[in-house]
Amino acid sequence: MLELSIFWLRLAVVFYAAGLCSSLVTIVRREQSFFAPALHAFRVGLILHFVSLVDRAFAVRHFPADNFFETISLCGFLLGLLFVFAQFRYSFSSLGLFLFPLVFGMALVGALGTPVGGWASVRIRSAWLIVHVMLVIAGYASLLIAGGASIFYLVQERQLKAKKLVGGPFGAPSLPALMTLDSLLARTMNLGFVFTTLGVIVIVIWAFIESGTRWISDPTILISMLTWFVYLALIYLRTVAGWRGRRAAWVTLSVLTLFALTWAAHIGILGTVFAR
Amino acid sequence: MKFAITGLNHKSAPVEVRERAAVSDAALPERLRALRAMPGVHEGLILSTCNRVELALALEDSRDPSDITPCLFGIDGHRDLASHLYTHTGSDAVRHLFRVASSLDSLVVGEPQILGQLKDAYSRAKELQALGPFLEPILMRAFSVAKRVRSETDIGESAVSVSYAAVELAREIFGDLKGKKVLLLGAGKMSALTAKHLRRSGTAEIYVANRTPGRAFELANEFGGSVVEWATLEQSLPAMDIVIASTGANSYVVSEPLMRQVIAARRQRPMFLIDIAVPRNIEPAVNTIDNVFLYDIDDLQQVVDRNLVARQSAARDAQRIVEEEVEKLDLRLKSRGAAPWIVALQAQLEEHRAFEVERQRAKLGPLTAQQEEALEALTRGLVNKIAHGAISELRRGAAAEDDAVIEQIKRIFKLGGKA
Repeated sequence: MLELSIFWLRLAVVFYAAGLCSSLVTIVRREQSFFAPALHAFRVGLILHFVSLVDRAFAVRHFPADNFFETISLCGFLLGLLFVFAQFRYSFSSLGLFLFPLVFGMALVGALGTPVGGWASVRIRSAWLIVHVMLVIAGYASLLIAGGASIFYLVQERQLKAKKLVGGPFGAPSLPALMTLDSLLARTMNLGFVFTTLGVIVIVIWAFIESGTRWISDPTILISMLTWFVYLALIYLRTVAGWRGRRAAWVTLSVLTLFALTWAAHIGILGTVFAR
Repeated sequence: MKFAITGLNHKSAPVEVRERAAVSDAALPERLRALRAMPGVHEGLILSTCNRVELALALEDSRDPSDITPCLFGIDGHRDLASHLYTHTGSDAVRHLFRVASSLDSLVVGEPQILGQLKDAYSRAKELQALGPFLEPILMRAFSVAKRVRSETDIGESAVSVSYAAVELAREIFGDLKGKKVLLLGAGKMSALTAKHLRRSGTAEIYVANRTPGRAFELANEFGGSVVEWATLEQSLPAMDIVIASTGANSYVVSEPLMRQVIAARRQRPMFLIDIAVPRNIEPAVNTIDNVFLYDIDDLQQVVDRNLVARQSAARDAQRIVEEEVEKLDLRLKSRGAAPWIVALQAQLEEHRAFEVERQRAKLGPLTAQQEEALEALTRGLVNKIAHGAISELRRGAAAEDDAVIEQIKRIFKLGGKA
């Protein structure tokens, strides 16, 4: 019964992934993409998630909120349920941009509470890690470009507001137009989010296979997930609330600072892993 | 042969004189043919724009260029014209040409049209075979000097009129102006001129809102735009990207609270407001709102003034480039004088080389292909090494107009009768 509940939950994660994909494509293309099929898949995922919770309750003979993994899985389910209700009652589809990835993430973490056997081969383990590193580097690169565009935006905007437009800073040539910079920083920040999301998913699964359920107490993984959550919230606000211009530039610089801190925290973990 | 420029421009002649000397496109071939037919004129180019009529000429050394313009254009009262004419020869003519091409001699320094006009004049003259090996390299050099000036200085970077400054600022905000909507609040002349510039830059539609609908329709028709009813102004504002206000109202037409609502309705998409009315139509505090950029007439004038100062500074840099290039071309033109002696020296040495190779070949008998190649390489190398020093000295002597050096080399190599 316990294995069956894990099976249903993992299957639910697969369906939730459709919602995640819809959000990522919407963020990159900056227009809502295949929301209806993603919502259908999400609903199926929600049903499977419910089945998993019931199965688990019978198997462990108590309400399935006894440990971290059970609690986060339950929270994810309730959030999903609330979203489906809000969508049905108020047609609040834009909330999906935020909740699809979040529910997917929570269900994924919940599904990683039961350890599996180790790596089939050392090569797969290394390849998995390399994929993570590549995705994270791509995410950092996108964010760095977004950060640069933000700084240029703030300088250009300040000059335009102060009516002192005499070329770029330090005698450099004129900066690109404000809307060009705004568009560049929005695109690169969104692209950075896609790479970071995939990078976090890959490392969470890697850590789960590597160290069973102990991965959740690893502070660097927790920092990564927290950073990703803040990134998701800011992307959501930027997209849905229409944050742009100076506010968006500061948001981008905040995300970049947060990532710099996460990177500093990660230097240790990567060094340890490769030293093995 | 010498290089000369003669003509008149906006500094030397009033428009009444310039228009009498102007050459239309249709008349150009005939004038160029007449120019070529004049005694002592080998090559020629006619540049005729609204601000200048100039001839660039390759003349015989003894030919005086000052009488060419009155004769060519057949203008009555040559004496009157003569007082407006200028003539430059040699380095001064080169300097003038470079300054014209680089837009340093233009009415609005740094304007880009003159280079295109000079290139057109060059194409026409080339088409009509009025150019040759003397003028053509000088003109090509003028084009590359103009290019260098454009790329190494900021001479053409900034707007120097209020209406154009507004367009430039709109570009700084929006980048491409295609698809942007412009609202004219009021129907003043200055706002119409700015709208005209914006329209040319690709803005999508022009809307006009005026208290007097008749004038609004008139202006909208002029731009192929639409009229916005004054009563619906507040509802129409969120759709506009650029607003140019020039009404005669005594109080603010656009207030800060209104603009806060407008920008929220636009989901923070930037807006550019130009207030050229006196008294002002847009509350100055509007500029404190994020993504709203407000410029009044004084702000635009300040932008223009700063740009003019920047252009003057760029013009000084450009003048330095021109002087540098004049010096280079001057040296090159002077060293052209050595060309016949260089050719004669090379021919003589080649003759000696060929003779000696033949002599040795007769002594050595049949040679393999490899040996032939080695013999050729050896003798050519020797000849080049011997010629190098003499050629350099000939060039240097010609550039410095030092006849003694040239005579000495001619004597050493016995070049007297060959050039």
